[in-house]
Amino acid sequence: MINYRTFSTAKHAREHEVKRIESLAPISVLSGFIFLVVVLFIASQASPAAAENLTAREIMQKVDDRDDGDNRSAEMTMTLIDKNGSKRIRKIRSFDKDKGEDKMRIMFFLAPADVKDTAFLTYDYDAYEKDDDQWLYLPALRKSKRIASSDKSGSFMGSDFNYADMTRKNLDAYDFSIVKEQEVRGHNTWIIEALPKTMEEKEETGYKKSLVFVRQDNFVVVRAVHWTLEGNRLKYQDVPGLEQIDGIWTITHMTMTTKKGKATLHRTELDFSNIQYNQALDEQMFTVRQLEKGL
Amino acid sequence: MTTTMRQRIESGFVQFGQLIYRNHWKTLFLVLALVAALVSQLPRLTMDTSTEGFLHENDPTLLAYEKFREQFGRDELVLLTITAPDIFASEFLQKLRRLHYELRDKLPYLDDITSLINARNTRGAEGELIVEDLLENWPQDRAGLDAIRARAMANPTYRNMLLSEDGTITTIVIKTDAYTGGAQTEDVLAGFEEENLAVSPATSERIPLTDAQNSEVVHAARQISRAYEGENFKIHLAGSPVVSDVLKRAMQQNMKKFMLMALIAIAVILFVLFRRLSGVILPLLTVALSLLSTLGLMALLGIPFKLPTQILPSFLLAVGVGASVHLLAVFFRHLQESHKHSNGGREPSEMKAEAISYALGHSGLAIVMTSLTTAAGLASFAGAEVAPISDLGKIAAVGIMISLVFTLVLLPALLSITPLKAKTSATAQRGHERMDRLLRATADFSTTRPKLVLTVSALLLVLGLIGAMQARFSHKPFEWFPEDAPVRQATDFVNERMRGASSVEVVVDSGETNGFYDPQRMKGLEALNREVETIDRGELFVGKTLSLADILKEINKALNENRDEYYAIPDNRELIAQEFLLFENSGSDDLEDFVDSQFSKVRFTAKMPWVDGILYNDFMNDLEARFKRTLGGRVDVTVTGMAALLGRTMHATIISMSESYLWAVVIITGMMILLIGDVRIGLVSMIPNLTPIILTLGIMGWFGMPLDLFTMLIGSIAIGLAVDDTIHFMHNYRRYHHTTGDVQEAVRQTLLTTGRAMFVTTVVLSVGFFLYMFANLSNLVNFGLLTGFTIIMALLADFFLAPALMATLHKAHMISDDSDY
Repeated sequence: MINYRTFSTAKHAREHEVKRIESLAPISVLSGFIFLVVVLFIASQASPAAAENLTAREIMQKVDDRDDGDNRSAEMTMTLIDKNGSKRIRKIRSFDKDKGEDKMRIMFFLAPADVKDTAFLTYDYDAYEKDDDQWLYLPALRKSKRIASSDKSGSFMGSDFNYADMTRKNLDAYDFSIVKEQEVRGHNTWIIEALPKTMEEKEETGYKKSLVFVRQDNFVVVRAVHWTLEGNRLKYQDVPGLEQIDGIWTITHMTMTTKKGKATLHRTELDFSNIQYNQALDEQMFTVRQLEKGL
Repeated sequence: MTTTMRQRIESGFVQFGQLIYRNHWKTLFLVLALVAALVSQLPRLTMDTSTEGFLHENDPTLLAYEKFREQFGRDELVLLTITAPDIFASEFLQKLRRLHYELRDKLPYLDDITSLINARNTRGAEGELIVEDLLENWPQDRAGLDAIRARAMANPTYRNMLLSEDGTITTIVIKTDAYTGGAQTEDVLAGFEEENLAVSPATSERIPLTDAQNSEVVHAARQISRAYEGENFKIHLAGSPVVSDVLKRAMQQNMKKFMLMALIAIAVILFVLFRRLSGVILPLLTVALSLLSTLGLMALLGIPFKLPTQILPSFLLAVGVGASVHLLAVFFRHLQESHKHSNGGREPSEMKAEAISYALGHSGLAIVMTSLTTAAGLASFAGAEVAPISDLGKIAAVGIMISLVFTLVLLPALLSITPLKAKTSATAQRGHERMDRLLRATADFSTTRPKLVLTVSALLLVLGLIGAMQARFSHKPFEWFPEDAPVRQATDFVNERMRGASSVEVVVDSGETNGFYDPQRMKGLEALNREVETIDRGELFVGKTLSLADILKEINKALNENRDEYYAIPDNRELIAQEFLLFENSGSDDLEDFVDSQFSKVRFTAKMPWVDGILYNDFMNDLEARFKRTLGGRVDVTVTGMAALLGRTMHATIISMSESYLWAVVIITGMMILLIGDVRIGLVSMIPNLTPIILTLGIMGWFGMPLDLFTMLIGSIAIGLAVDDTIHFMHNYRRYHHTTGDVQEAVRQTLLTTGRAMFVTTVVLSVGFFLYMFANLSNLVNFGLLTGFTIIMALLADFFLAPALMATLHKAHMISDDSDY
C-alpha cells in the first residue's frame, strides 16, 4: 500500500516531454524522429551502465516511473516507539487500486481492540494541485465523515511518517542534485539532494530539504533524511526490507526515526506481510459504503 | 607578675611581626605563589544561575519536574502579545504572518510556535470534518475575515491564550527546547548508524537549556519583533523565560556596577581618613587577593558560582576591609607616635618594623578571634538543605580564613616593603585630634550616663522587636523592577488582560496503558478544568486551564456537526479511543503536549500570574488534594512546573536560611563565651551583637520591606560586622581594663585605638553599601539601605550600648575580675 516511489509526477513529466518534442518539430520532422528514437532508446536502458550518466532529475524520474504494481492487498503492522521506549502496535489491512493515474486506497484497523474496524478511504489524485480526498469511519460513532484537509505535513496515523511521505510529489517543485554515491546494505546508491523551490511546497510537505538514497540497480529509494520545517528535527527513513514480489520491488520493512540533535524523539516501524498484487479488487471496494460495511 | 594567656599570645604576635618583617620578600613570594596557584584555577569556575541549582540533585521535587519536562517539554513559554484595534483586519493578519514566519525561521532552540496563523481549528459540518489551521485558507474579503473572527472568538482553547476575551490582543506563543544539544549534528548521515541503537534510553543525561541559551532566544525574539512594533501593532514580550533573563542580567550588571562604585567610594574615604595612598591600596589589595583566592578555591573544589554566592564579594569586602583597617589604624597611629617621641633620632625603617610588631601584637589576637567567630557562624550554614546556602556557608567561612591569613601575613609583608613616613602636616594632626576628641567624648558619655544609654537602647530594641514581628517572608522577583520597566509592564499587562503569563502543571498518572480512554477519568479531568478555573485568591488566580479533556471535547463537537451540546466527553470508551486516533491522524501533534503516547499519563496546565513565592506551597497542596478527590486514589498526582518549583525553592531557601541564622547565633554565642573566657560577659556581648540585626529586621517590618532571598543574605554581612565590632570592643576593653582597672579609662583607650578603626570601617563600608540605593532594582536598593544601616547600628551598639553595659555590670560587681585576661 505504501507508495515507495517517493517522488512522482508521472503525468506531468510526460506532458513535459511531449512539449519538448513539439518544440523541435519545426526544425525538421526527421531530426524530430531521430530525437524521439534516441529518447526512447535511453528510456529503455535502465541498466546500471547507462545509469552512470544520468542527471539527478533523470534518476528521480526513473524512480517515479518504476512499476509499483496494482490491485494490491497487504497487512501492515505499525509499531510506534516513543522516547521512553514504550511501544504501541497497530494492525491494518489495506487495499490499493489504480484508477487511471489516480490511486485509491482503503484501510481497516484490525487492532488494537479499541479502534477495531475504524477505517480510512483515500483518493490520491495524480494532479498535484488537486487535494487528496479522505473519508473516515468511526464504528463507535457509526458515521463516516469526509475529512477536508490540504496539509500533508501532518502525521500519518500518529506515526513518524507524514502524508507527504506516503504520496507522490511534484518533481517540478524541486531542484535535484547528486551529492555523492554510497553503498547501502551492499548496493550502490546515489545520494540525491532535493530542495523544494517554493515555500508552498515546504509548507505542504513539512520539509525544507531532503537527501534521498536511490539504489542504482533498481531505482528504489532505500534511505532518506528529511529536514523538518518546524522544530529543527531530522527524520531518518530507512528500508531494511526490500524483496521482489511478482517481479515488483516491494518494501516489506521500513522505519522512520525522528531525531533532534543526537536524541531520538520517536520512531515508527512498518512491517508488511501477505502482500499480494493483481487481486480481483472491484472499484466498489473503494467507496464510503464499503468503508461503513467493513471488511 | 605572671603573664596571662592573652599576654603570651600577644607577645607571640609581636615576634611573628618581627619574623615577617625580617623575611618580607620570602613571605610575599610564598603568599603570591599561593594566590597565583589559586587564581590560575579561575577559568574553571562555573556559573550556575539555574533554578535547579538551588536543589540537591536527588531532591524529589526536582526529580518530579525533570520527569515532567522530559515527557512534555519546557513549560515556561515566551509570550509575544500584540495589541491592535482590529486583529481581524487583513493588513494586521498579514503582518502577524510575516512576524510568525520570521520567528519560526530565525529563533534558536525553537521547539514550537503557535499563533492565530497556525492555530488548530478542527470543526465539523454536515458529513464533513474540517481539519486545518485557522488561517490555512487566507480570507479574501471582509466576509471571510469576519468568518475567521467568529470562529476564533468562539474557540474556548484560544481564549486568554491566543486571543484576549475582548479580541483586541493576540499572542504568539513560543515554546523553546527543553534541552541543549538540539542543534543538528555535523555528520547527518551518521544518524543512520546511531539509529541502529534505536531509542536512546539515557535521556536523563541531557542538559537543560542554559541561561545563556535562554537569553539568546529572548534576545532574538526581541530583536525580530522590534521591526514590527508600531502604532497598530503594540508588542509586549512576557513569560517567565523573559523575566528570568532580564532579571538575571539586570542583577549581574547592577551588582558589577555598584560593587565597582562601592570600591571607588571606599578608596576615596580611606584616603580621606588615612591621608595616605598606602592606606587605600593595602587594604583593598588584601581584600581583592582574598576574594580572587577564594573564587579560585571554589573553582578548584568544583563548587559553581550560584545566585546566593553573589553576596560573597560584598561579604569579603566588608569583613576584609574591617580586618585590614584595624591593623593599619594601630600601625599608623604607632608610627606617628614613635615619630613624635623620637624627634628624628631613630631610623624610619626601625620605627616601621616596631610599628608592625606592635600593631600585630595589639590587634592580631582580636583579628583572629573575629575571623574565627564569623567563620564559625557562617560555617553553621553548611548543613542547610538548600544547596547554595550550604555552599555559601562553606565558601564564606573559607574566604574569611583566607582573608585572615592575608591580613596577618601579606599585609605586614606589604607594609615592610612600602616606603612610609610619619605625617608631619598640621592638617593631618588636627584631623586626628578632632577624631580623638569625638571618640573620647563618646566613651565618657556612654560610661557616665549608662542608664540613659540603656533606656534608649531598650526602647529601640522593643520598637525593633515589634517591627521584626511584622517582617514577612515574601519573594517576588518581578516586583524588583521599577513599575515602568518594560518587562514589568509586559508582565502586568499579560496578568491583567490575558489572565497570567505563567503556569502550574499537574501530571496525573493512571498507571495503566490507555488509562485515559476511560470516560469516568476524562470526565473527572473535565470537571477539574472547570473547578480549577474558578480558583481566585486575589493575587493568585487561575486564568485558564488546558488538558486532554479540551482536545477530546473539541474533536467530539467537530464530529457532531459542530453542535454545542457535543462539546462534552463521550460516554463510550471505544468512541474516545477512536476520536483520539482520528485526532492523531488529523495532522496535529498537539496531543503530545497533553498526554504520553501510552495514554497513561496526562498533563493539566493551570495558567496563572507569577505570584509571591510563598504562595505556591499552599496552592500546590490544594491542587493535589482537589485532583485526588476528583480522580480517586488510584491515580498518581504530581504538581510541578518551573514557576512553582522556583517559588517553592525560594521559599525553602528563605526558611532554610532563617534556620541557619538561628544556628549561627547559637554557635557565635558559644564562640564568644569561649574566646572571652567568661560566660556572663560572653552572653552580655551577644546584646550588642544581636541588637543591630533586630533593629534592621524592625526597619523591614515597619517599612514593609520583604524578607526575600536577597535581603536574607544581608544577615551574613550583618553577623560578620556586628560580631567583628563587638569582639574588637570586648577584647580591647578587657585588655585595657586589665592594665588600668578603670571602666571609663578602659573604654576611652578602647575607642581611641580600636574604636578609631571601627569608626573608619563603618564609615567606609556604610557609604559603599548606601551607594546601592541608586540601583534601579528595588531589592538592591533595599540591600544597600539595610546593609548600610546594619553596619552603622553595629558601630553604635559597640560605642554606646557595650560601654554602658560594661559600666553598669561593673558597678553592680557582676563582672569577675579580669586579672587573668
